[in-house]
Amino acid sequence: MVAPALGSILLGTTDPVRLRDWYAAAFAAGDGDGFTEVEPTLFACTFGDTSLLIDGRDDVAARSPDPGRMILNFHVDDARGTAARLDDLDVTWLVEIEERDGGLFGTLVDPDGNYVQIIQLRERPSPS
Amino acid sequence: MVEERPVPGSPDQARRRARLRAVTLDSGDPERAAAWYRAALGLSDADPLRTAGDVELRFTAATGVTAGALEPARIILNFLVEDIRAAEARLVALGAVWVRELEGTGWGIIGTVLDLDGNYVQIVEPAPDSSPCLYPKEDDG
Repeated sequence: MVAPALGSILLGTTDPVRLRDWYAAAFAAGDGDGFTEVEPTLFACTFGDTSLLIDGRDDVAARSPDPGRMILNFHVDDARGTAARLDDLDVTWLVEIEERDGGLFGTLVDPDGNYVQIIQLRERPSPS
Repeated sequence: MVEERPVPGSPDQARRRARLRAVTLDSGDPERAAAWYRAALGLSDADPLRTAGDVELRFTAATGVTAGALEPARIILNFLVEDIRAAEARLVALGAVWVRELEGTGWGIIGTVLDLDGNYVQIVEPAPDSSPCLYPKEDDG
């Protein structure tokens, strides 16, 4: 059996515009139209088969007190190119891009302190 | 499924948007947490924890010092279900703590529970006219 779809992942934040702009620059391929304004403080963007919702709310602090509790894993086509773009955003790296079994991996911190992992899986040979 | 668009005007450097393919959850008891999600989502013990949209749920041993989520509204997982009453019944059978019992909203019927580590998990039966950016439609292929 297949589980229900994870339709969306919601990030609660005190500064939704800043977080939206960061995720758009980091992962939406420079696509300025990537995020849709659902409400004035709620933005949505599809990343693959799930959406990231960025929700302005008052029940979270400006910075996550518990950032490792959930980690979002983004798969990218070019991890080093993505890392260069992230460096332009002055991100903090927990683990810089490194080779591991299966591909390239790196872990960084978004503006709210959430941990984000980027992954470029090594291409497997096509079945003949 | 929403098509992933390359960067307009830069065909030589066209790149796709990143894909959110997994969420890693820190847990005080990763095996128990995984079992809870399987039961909550209607899976058997043997089923992989992959959602219909091929997003994987991974569980790792907690590295933090707190037993429960300090800010459960910081990251919320929204699962789309076809039969929200059946999903509710599964959660009730698990003894889940309800943060918000099922209620109709402009986006559909939504209910919120705590997982075993205190994270918010929502079940959503989307309204027929919900925006696809909120809930990407599953790829039939």
